[in-house]
Amino acid sequence: MISLTSPIETKAHHWNAGLKLAALCLSTLVLFSIDSLVIKSAFLAFVITLYALPGPIFMRYGLSKLRILWPFILIVFLWHWWVQELLQGSAIIIRMICAVALANLVTMTTKLSDMIDVVRFITQPLQRFGLNPRILELSIALVIRMTPVLLNKGENLGMAWKARSRRRSGWKIILPFTLIALDDADQVAEALRARGGLTNQEKN
Amino acid sequence: MSAIDLQDVCLYIDGKLVLNQLCLETQVKRLGVIGRNGSGKSTLARALSGLIKISSGQLQVSGINPYKNRKAALQEIGILFQNPDHQIIFPTVLEEIVFGLRQLGQKKTSATKNALQTLTTFGKIHWENVPTCALSQGQKHLVCLMAVVAMQPNLIILDEPFAGLDIPTKHQLQRYLEKFTGSLIHISHDPIDLQGYDQLLWLEGGKVALLDTPEKVLPAYLDKMHTLGAGDDISHLSH
Amino acid sequence: MEKKIAYIALFAALIAALGLVPKITLAFGVPITAQSLGIMLCGTILGAKRGGLAVLLFLLLVAIGLPLLSGGNGGLGVFVSASGGFLLAWPLSAYVTGLIVEKWRSGPLLLVATAGSVIGCILVMYLFGIIGMAIVLDKTLLQATGFVTAFIPGDIIKAIIAGLLTAAIAKARPASLLSRPAQNNAL
Repeated sequence: MISLTSPIETKAHHWNAGLKLAALCLSTLVLFSIDSLVIKSAFLAFVITLYALPGPIFMRYGLSKLRILWPFILIVFLWHWWVQELLQGSAIIIRMICAVALANLVTMTTKLSDMIDVVRFITQPLQRFGLNPRILELSIALVIRMTPVLLNKGENLGMAWKARSRRRSGWKIILPFTLIALDDADQVAEALRARGGLTNQEKN
Repeated sequence: MSAIDLQDVCLYIDGKLVLNQLCLETQVKRLGVIGRNGSGKSTLARALSGLIKISSGQLQVSGINPYKNRKAALQEIGILFQNPDHQIIFPTVLEEIVFGLRQLGQKKTSATKNALQTLTTFGKIHWENVPTCALSQGQKHLVCLMAVVAMQPNLIILDEPFAGLDIPTKHQLQRYLEKFTGSLIHISHDPIDLQGYDQLLWLEGGKVALLDTPEKVLPAYLDKMHTLGAGDDISHLSH
Repeated sequence: MEKKIAYIALFAALIAALGLVPKITLAFGVPITAQSLGIMLCGTILGAKRGGLAVLLFLLLVAIGLPLLSGGNGGLGVFVSASGGFLLAWPLSAYVTGLIVEKWRSGPLLLVATAGSVIGCILVMYLFGIIGMAIVLDKTLLQATGFVTAFIPGDIIKAIIAGLLTAAIAKARPASLLSRPAQNNAL
């Protein structure tokens, strides 16, 4: 399964993931506490510049990820146009785009393995409450492994439906899909047990 | 007998060329398809039943384009896949069989009547309300077959339908299959399943390696398979 | 233990897989994403704790950069968008849904699972979702509620479907219904 990390290498790819996340949190907080439309616009220009630095392909891809925001942009624009407060509406839209764009930038410039390291670091305090980091990493690996497998089986079910119907498959197909997931879970549990089991996993 | 007509068919899956300028013209009652795993057999099955679109070329089954003309395809062609657990959608046997009939446009009462008729023909009327998950693997295969036969297609495509079954179950299912009066295209990588077939199509690398009677194809096929078995192409990575 | 981890991981994978299959059309031509149904099923089938963990695991994978949300979305951006509140509420929604199915034993499963889905995956989810939306779009709670009311009827139908699916799964695989384990089902 391919992660959302950009294959186009930037300087940011080599920065410490934890620091990037901390900077993101800080920036988002600042973004939501300031009122000035001017500052927010400058911030947006700054973020767009960051997207532009690694090149046009990077920028086009990154900005395309913002397309999912269009319904919210539309609602806010229409609302504020109606109540004749377009300036305030623009501020809200700019703020949202900035926050999402900045967060996505961190995602695009951070490798999956680096993110998992951060997760391990952040969940350290939870170890006191019984969280086993090895099991957490195993769980992450299992989901990454099994999602394409389940997807493939789901597609097979879709084909079996299409072979007998011209209509799009409805919710009914989720029943056998879930049963397949349950069967796969039983088999994976068996495979784990056969490879030594998890009950005595060393925490380190 | 269903006429199969492929002209320079190419099919890409995820950028990989799976069917490579495939040309095939045949009109027999029993066609077997053999080849190694990865030769394109399953993809061919899905293309012939109109479930996937070909990238280029001409493909016609019984004079129709099965991908574009779904209505005719559903009436003409049935397909049976390898794993019944990835095919059975409904909780009871009757519902599973009725589904296809309703999708053909039959009203609920006539669909139910025809489904029950199919069960009776197969001698399985007592399976009417049995939950599909309570069936054995072989029984599930049979339900899938009944669901397809009930729709009265002229051609049934079988994509390795007996994989993983024990010998007695396989023989029993084969007997049910032999009763089908329409055409069969049977994909298998085990030649024993295809004894007595009119023609065998040996598919390799998405192309026709050989199309002839079993007597002519099988010895060459088995010879090649044994040669490959002595090698180590399992080591080669595809990317 | 292995079974618990396997079920949690597989259901997280199921949520992901449900997000990547094409949209499902309901009775009146209303399209829904199957993914939110997956959240409900995590609760009704796995129960409160495991269902919640499965959804939490799923969100964790989205956060670290995997495109597992409907339409191939993912990454950190989705959590700070206007719909971020809904997303963050998912684990709690599955937990509450599971809790209702676990505790309310006297009713028929179809009713309980549907009610659980409505309370956990509509009431609780919309509560947090509306708060999140109000913050990001700088609107009052009432205004934000107005924006999302159109989605509620579709979600109620979704909850009913979740109830039907849960009842059917309980019939097909009673031993897999972790939210209502049999007397001697040790996990």
